[in-house]
Amino acid sequence: MKIEQFDVVIVGAGLSGLRAGLELSTQWNTAVVSKVYPVRSHSGAAQGGINAALGNLEIGKNDTPKRHAFDTVKGSDYLADQDVVMFMCEQAPKIVVEFESMGAPFSRLDSGLIAQRPFGGAGFPRTCYAGDRTGHALLHTLNEQSIRKGVTFFDEFFLIDIIKVRDQVVGIITLDIAKGELVIFRAPYVILATGGFGRIFKQSTNALINTGDGNGAAFRAGVPMQDIEFVQFHPTTLYGTNILITEGARGEGGYLYNSKHKRFMKKTAPEAIELAPRDIVARAEETEVLEGRGIEDAYIHLDLTHLGAEKIKERLPGIREISMLFAGIDPIEEPIPVQPGQHYSMGGIATKYGGDYGETELTGLYCLGECSCLSVHGANRLGGNSLLETSVFGRAVGRRLLENGRLNNVSIEDIKRAENNAIDAVEKLFRRWNDNSGHKPVDIRETMGIVMNKNVGVFRNQRDLEIAYDKLKNLQESFKSVYVSTEDRRFNYGLIRTLELRNMLDLAECTTFAAIWRKESRGAHYRLDFPERNDEIYLRHTLVYRSKDGLDIKTKPVKLGLFEVKERTY
Amino acid sequence: MKKQQTFLVYRNSGNGKVRYERYEVPLSKGISVLEALFYIQDHYDSTLAFRYACRGAICGSCGMTINKVPSLACRVQISGIKKTKEPKNLPEIKFGDLPKWDQENEILVEPMPNMEIIKDLIVDMDPFWKFYREVEPYLDREWNNNSSESYQSPLEMKKIERLVYCILCGLCWACPVNSENSNYLGPAQLAKADRFINDSRANAEQQRSILNRVLKEDAVPACQKYFVCNRVCPKNVMPGTAIKDIRDKWIKEKD
Repeated sequence: MKIEQFDVVIVGAGLSGLRAGLELSTQWNTAVVSKVYPVRSHSGAAQGGINAALGNLEIGKNDTPKRHAFDTVKGSDYLADQDVVMFMCEQAPKIVVEFESMGAPFSRLDSGLIAQRPFGGAGFPRTCYAGDRTGHALLHTLNEQSIRKGVTFFDEFFLIDIIKVRDQVVGIITLDIAKGELVIFRAPYVILATGGFGRIFKQSTNALINTGDGNGAAFRAGVPMQDIEFVQFHPTTLYGTNILITEGARGEGGYLYNSKHKRFMKKTAPEAIELAPRDIVARAEETEVLEGRGIEDAYIHLDLTHLGAEKIKERLPGIREISMLFAGIDPIEEPIPVQPGQHYSMGGIATKYGGDYGETELTGLYCLGECSCLSVHGANRLGGNSLLETSVFGRAVGRRLLENGRLNNVSIEDIKRAENNAIDAVEKLFRRWNDNSGHKPVDIRETMGIVMNKNVGVFRNQRDLEIAYDKLKNLQESFKSVYVSTEDRRFNYGLIRTLELRNMLDLAECTTFAAIWRKESRGAHYRLDFPERNDEIYLRHTLVYRSKDGLDIKTKPVKLGLFEVKERTY
Repeated sequence: MKKQQTFLVYRNSGNGKVRYERYEVPLSKGISVLEALFYIQDHYDSTLAFRYACRGAICGSCGMTINKVPSLACRVQISGIKKTKEPKNLPEIKFGDLPKWDQENEILVEPMPNMEIIKDLIVDMDPFWKFYREVEPYLDREWNNNSSESYQSPLEMKKIERLVYCILCGLCWACPVNSENSNYLGPAQLAKADRFINDSRANAEQQRSILNRVLKEDAVPACQKYFVCNRVCPKNVMPGTAIKDIRDKWIKEKD
């Protein structure tokens, strides 16, 4: 049995994991473990930008972190924890400038300052960008600095489970994908930064690797999922493949048209129009299609043609490439066919009430970025805030752990016993999967995606959700007899994808369960049978647990106090 | 439109035995080679190994050789495959004994060239990353909480923009020089060097340090100007042009 020992292990090498790794590596023996090479992480897919009240443009001069925080809280439909939002927005200018100092290739204004563009739900042009490939630029920048600083990486290691002794994390068990061996990382601190889990839906902008591996491991270790019913559907995903078309396309002046060539957003959001927050635009689009005003009864047109070739080539080259490659359309000439698609998980691993940023109920276990619920996005995330969250809290959590000091409160005998148990459990699981003769993983995975899409989508209701929940429970049953060959474990992606499916089934079930519980409409969670927001009962964070009798819900209060809870109009 | 497509796929379980296998994949609108490989993995053989992540041509994971042309599998749609032209100067890519291949009706999928094959379509990327690190691919400047924003004009940014878009997929290692010289630093690596040499924020010391490495025998001078890298690059980074840039600016001066 192979054991690697560290002061802290970070799982995931996207922006969150890399930023935390840079911080912790300055003083501690730190490992960054990822199932893909760091630059393959899904942070690299982010297009539009990162928000910070820099005020680099004349019209943005009066922007402040507090205004940024207000927009974020309002965008969240008042479910975000306001103190955490304020911290993020105050740190934002510093973190963007830090990226710049690291060498990030931001687009520039004529003044030589970092360029900023307008984004949905924002009062000022606040979104700093590098063309329409901001995530790629930032991910590579952090990877470059990690090389410079000599951060220790374990590439192509798959997180299977968290190892704990009582309520203290003591490490993780992983599969070395190349060698096919189980490897234990022993550490008193584990930071999960494994990204989103959009692949529980069939139609998603997410990378195929976004399967919630950290969430699944945390959930099995007894950590609840918080606000997991809040799923962001991005209004402009390419029709068919659901590849993301950045909100920056509307930020740069793009229009949305229905089949009658009407800019339908004018009636939904008379002031913000196309730049209303994502939940609102996605619902408006879905309504157009449901009421027969979709193009070919299926999609909407995102029209950039009036922006002109020069602007498109300069500001949105990636969008043009994607449209030409995957839809055979040049946005300079023709509108882009788009539809809503799953994009982001506002909810995630629950954080402890009154704890440090990212701290969970399990001592030593922290979470960061999309896998976590800190909660800065509440019921709906504003574009440009996810890249911001990753880096601000990657840095903050790294620093906090260094301040808190190393943990050493579990005996080595207890740790070894827990490690042996973990190995035995995984070996048993692999043997069972190999000996089973039941379903193929693909059948379960595809059914799950279709059910989530159809019944737990933009518009929800009790009946559809209950049907979905029953189906998911059946899929969980089917999964018990799932068959996959585990004999040759080297680069066995059939096995890896079955482990991913195990995580996704739990998360799909939790999402649906919480969506049934929340009988109101707030942010991205819209119930046709309960179309109003109900603060009296539901201005609470949900926490989904697995109990002996199935799933269970608890709640915790939302941290208010800075901004008054109001009706949300744009 | 055909209902099925035959794939001829390179298989190698890592024990020296190479085989090519045929699979029938049902066609759907817009289906890519990557999706077809998933179909094979899901329905015929779960052990078929290939790397993947984003499926949108931005992560650089799924480089392989498709119909003898190095490509990203997610970027190649079956319907458009006939239009793929073989890049000029591309050396013949061979992986042992290829069975009879019906070029009209079968899509041939093989690993990336000039890298050691570990299993099926998976190659050893370690040399690629090692050489990447050797060019010191970073801005060598201290940063801290109080760093201030440095100015860069849009024009200065433009100089590096194209190079920044490199996704480190490794397809440019199809270069004939790579096939003959395993010590060659590689086009992507040299393009990255050019990106940092030309960053208006880089200081002279860093420029010199990078140049010290890339002007060595197995780096810029080894490039034979085949420009295969420019032709196979899925992101239009034009590494060959970047190498030429370094050569023009820094080698002539030395003479």
